[in-house]
Amino acid sequence: MSTASDIAAPGARFHLSKDVVQIVYRLLAAGLLCLLLSVLTDSFLSMNNILNVLRQASLLFFLASGLTLVILTGGLDLSIGANIGLSACLAATAIKATGSPALGTLVGLGVGTLVGICNGLMVAKLRIPSFIATYGMLWVLHGVTYYYMAGETIHGFPPGFRQIGSGYFLGIPIPVYLMLGFLAAGTFFAQRTVWGQQIYAIGANPVAARLCGIPVDRRLILVYAFSGAMAGVASLVFLARLNSAEGDVGEAMTLPAIAAVLIGGASLFGGVGTVFGTFVGALILTLVLNGMNLLAVNASWQPLVTGVIVVLAVWLDMIGRRRT
Amino acid sequence: MRAAVKSPPAPEVLEEKPDLGTPLLELKGISKQFPGVKALDDVSFAIWPGEVHMLLGENGAGKSSLMKCLCGAYQADAGEYFHKGEKVEIRTPADAKKLGIAVIFQEFSLVPYLDIAQNIFLGREFKSRVPGLLDRRRLYAEAQKVLDRIGLEVDPRTKVHTLGVAQQQMVEIAKALSQDASILVMDEPTAALSDRETERLFAVMRQLQAKGTAIVYISHRMAEVFALGDRITVLRDGKNVGRAIPGETSPDQLVRMMVGRNVDMSYPRNFRAPGEVVLELKDLSATNGIADINLVVRAGEIVGLCGLVGSGRTEVARAVFGADAVTSGEVRVFGRVKTGGPDLSAAEGIALIPESRKTEGLALIRTVSDNLAVAGLPKLFPNHLFSPGRARRSAEELIKRLRIATPSPNQSVGLLSGGNQQKVVIGKWLAAGARLFIFDEPTRGIDVGAKSEIFALIDQLVGEGAAVLMISSEQAEIVHVCDRAYVMRGRRIVGELSRSELSEENIVRMGMHDE
Amino acid sequence: MSDHALSAARPRLRLPSVPGVAIVLVALAVVFALISPNFLSTGNLSNILVQSVILLLLALPMTLIIMTEGLDLSMGAVLTLASLVLALTVVSTQSLVLGLASAVGVGLAFGFVNGWLVSALRIPPFVATLGTLGVAQGLALIVSDGQSVVGIPRFVRLVYSGETAGIPNPILIGAAFYALFHVLLYHTKFGVYIRALGGNRDALTLAGVKWQRMLIAVYMLGGAMAGFAALLMTARMNAGHPTAAIGMEFDAIAAVALGGTSFERGNGWIFGTLLGVLTVGILRNGLNLMAVPSSAQVACIGALVIFALFLDGMRSRKP
Repeated sequence: MSTASDIAAPGARFHLSKDVVQIVYRLLAAGLLCLLLSVLTDSFLSMNNILNVLRQASLLFFLASGLTLVILTGGLDLSIGANIGLSACLAATAIKATGSPALGTLVGLGVGTLVGICNGLMVAKLRIPSFIATYGMLWVLHGVTYYYMAGETIHGFPPGFRQIGSGYFLGIPIPVYLMLGFLAAGTFFAQRTVWGQQIYAIGANPVAARLCGIPVDRRLILVYAFSGAMAGVASLVFLARLNSAEGDVGEAMTLPAIAAVLIGGASLFGGVGTVFGTFVGALILTLVLNGMNLLAVNASWQPLVTGVIVVLAVWLDMIGRRRT
Repeated sequence: MRAAVKSPPAPEVLEEKPDLGTPLLELKGISKQFPGVKALDDVSFAIWPGEVHMLLGENGAGKSSLMKCLCGAYQADAGEYFHKGEKVEIRTPADAKKLGIAVIFQEFSLVPYLDIAQNIFLGREFKSRVPGLLDRRRLYAEAQKVLDRIGLEVDPRTKVHTLGVAQQQMVEIAKALSQDASILVMDEPTAALSDRETERLFAVMRQLQAKGTAIVYISHRMAEVFALGDRITVLRDGKNVGRAIPGETSPDQLVRMMVGRNVDMSYPRNFRAPGEVVLELKDLSATNGIADINLVVRAGEIVGLCGLVGSGRTEVARAVFGADAVTSGEVRVFGRVKTGGPDLSAAEGIALIPESRKTEGLALIRTVSDNLAVAGLPKLFPNHLFSPGRARRSAEELIKRLRIATPSPNQSVGLLSGGNQQKVVIGKWLAAGARLFIFDEPTRGIDVGAKSEIFALIDQLVGEGAAVLMISSEQAEIVHVCDRAYVMRGRRIVGELSRSELSEENIVRMGMHDE
Repeated sequence: MSDHALSAARPRLRLPSVPGVAIVLVALAVVFALISPNFLSTGNLSNILVQSVILLLLALPMTLIIMTEGLDLSMGAVLTLASLVLALTVVSTQSLVLGLASAVGVGLAFGFVNGWLVSALRIPPFVATLGTLGVAQGLALIVSDGQSVVGIPRFVRLVYSGETAGIPNPILIGAAFYALFHVLLYHTKFGVYIRALGGNRDALTLAGVKWQRMLIAVYMLGGAMAGFAALLMTARMNAGHPTAAIGMEFDAIAAVALGGTSFERGNGWIFGTLLGVLTVGILRNGLNLMAVPSSAQVACIGALVIFALFLDGMRSRKP
């Protein structure tokens, strides 16, 4: 028996995985952007600006990396931005009250993770569609944070703590190291652990995943918990960088984080995407926004551009899917 | 391709009476090809006003495809339609509607939160004198008329989702009737109905017949065929295999036509003495509707589970695997009572090869290698660390062992042929080290050569001591491959056939037996 | 499950959705009446109604959109943008008609894009409208340059604060739109097809209905209503403000969900949405009287919505 698809395509031996090809394209796009910006502006290539881009990208990446796993399962987490707000404010309170950055870090991570677990329970156990469950959660968190802060700002943290946001090591901002660390950890988790593989399988076909014995509910809860934990990480870096906590910190981060994941090649329909792709996506989005900034485009254009990018990215994904 | 040799025309074929005049609708040489399957192959049939034309055939014989071509849901690849002698095209549902063809679908085309009347007249709303608004009074009056005709005593304002299956089927019938069609196509309309509702439906059909409506009626129930039919067409493997007149044939003759002889299909099978009991169901009932199921599968045995589509076979498989919850009775696997969901089943060495490969068996966008590893992840990587190299080696081994034709383990599994996809589904359970395999329609949509390979594989599995429970709608497969078989009807097991009793006729008779 | 029992069909009818929101509504009213003596005063009750109208104008089309198994997250941002455009137009032309037309035009344009993304490109509604949310928010900042637009003429303000025949204008406007949507959903083809869009699109295809255009129309209706709401909003605030209605779509979705409209299968009803809007209105009003800050109100509503969704899920899982 031989059918058309059984015959090996010529050159199949030099098969590059689709993920790799996709990421090469995206790296090229990032490179082109850099080239373009260095021609168009004088300040782009300054060390200061490059470090700035990297630092901004790292904040975006923390959120987007957790979100990547959620999107890999075919879900969405709209609560991450609001989660930053609550985690940051509670962590700030803890630091202020006890003077212990360690405790504050614990609180920030703990609150973020707890929120994520709640999301996961709603999605996996109550079967509420993820976008609507996390959308409800977004407003709960928003309300709680604003109520708790009552318009106040908490500021002034120990210098040791502030290092994780504004410190340098060998001339490079600490958040960039954190970003690289989480990039490595996230990639390892997604590509090199059984759980990571199962997460891909769930996103590609949740019914089939369940029918081959993957504990889908538990993996979903894990993924949302992870997304929440990464919001906690982002909240701590924000806190350390800004040296103050306000209710609206991180609020405007959700849409860019989604954009970064989608630019990075992940599909909203699940099963496709990599943490490294998201890293490149975060870089590209930051470059675009930074470039607009350098070209003196009003900051008001940023949400507009981000919104268009989200829609375009999903549309391109749809076209790609229809072709196969 | 090893072509399936056409069987010679069955001797039972009776020629049509020539004196009927021009048929209301005539189909000539209709063919329809799906990837991997020829659903309809040169089918012709004609229908005259005022007659009931029964369409008979086993599951997958092409009845539903023919009906879908007739109503414009599918477009035939070849063939011609003639309406009152004139050549016509049926390419969309609208074309069919213009010709006066109405269809009662088996899968419901109802909108759950519209009421009965709105569903009946969906797309044909009554306009009120006020522009833009609907004439609700007329809607409910007309709906009431239709409901009265079929004797459904429910308020037409009732939302459809609150109705039971039988009532929904009646609404579906009302919807088709209300179109005053000259040709009415019914796909097993009585499958969900009680006796009383069935009687009522038959009365309506007789009225329609008297008015000159032509009815195409698909059924599995012999009694209906003889009670209602004016003419019978039997389909097998997408081909016309016989025509008959009820008065001039017998149920046995029809069953023989439906089953036919099998051509050019080898079933590699070595029968062995069975070993210890692997799966035992005791009075098993589950939320999906199956009741009091008792069966036993031993190591080294292939046990068939047959019956009509909808008789509860897949539901038994799902209950055993833990995909649907058990309400009473017990499932014993390797002597232990089994509880819990699919994750525990997989861990205990149970494999489910589901009916629908593409929606339940595979992640089509992922690679062959990924799909082969997915069920065996915990077994292949006990320390939870995944190694792509190891997964690839395991995949290559399986590709070789199962002779999966793929250019590379990195090929998307969606690009493989049906037979190779099925091998991937089986392969993933081999990687997981399963010892009890439940196959649900293992050869659906697979060509003949690949079927033999799948059966050789299943035989090899039981040779190595695995136990197999096999669901199939193709009686020939059950007869040639199974050690024993259970027959289901109405979500219960109605009988067990030993190796010596296994014959297609016995299976069909037991599964279709009229109450 | 049962395929017998003609009689069994009746009692199951309409049990689930009605009482929930009505009970919550009454319970809230009783609680607030007990806690705060001002609550039951005519002035306050009328106040609740007036303040709920803008929300009602968004929740009505949101009901229809959700019934098609869709969602419009861009509504609040579109309302904000429309309000700014209206303010700018009115200030420069002194014409209410032109102002309203420009606001509704902005809404229709966004509605069309949303509908087209969902219907033609088949992008999931929540992402498509999340993207247009960003666009509308950006445009709002751009057209206003981040500043409030002030100097709204008196005739615009009167739309919100004036009375006709002794009844506050917003209440009349709200009642008129409620009636319009009631007719639309229950007495027109459009309403029938909306349920079918959420319930069973194949049924529409088989019936030969071109539903793609209907789906676009539903989102355009949402946009247009955001335009009308922009008029009331601008009149009420006496200004156009670039962040005025951010998050307003959440209150609308909350009202719809509380009202018992389901996110699946085209199950919804317009009266439930009215009750949902009043519930949100009473909750906010009562909490205001108790001097609970607006932020905590949002959290309460969020929790209520998740609870409503949970109930919705429980209901739809029962076959």
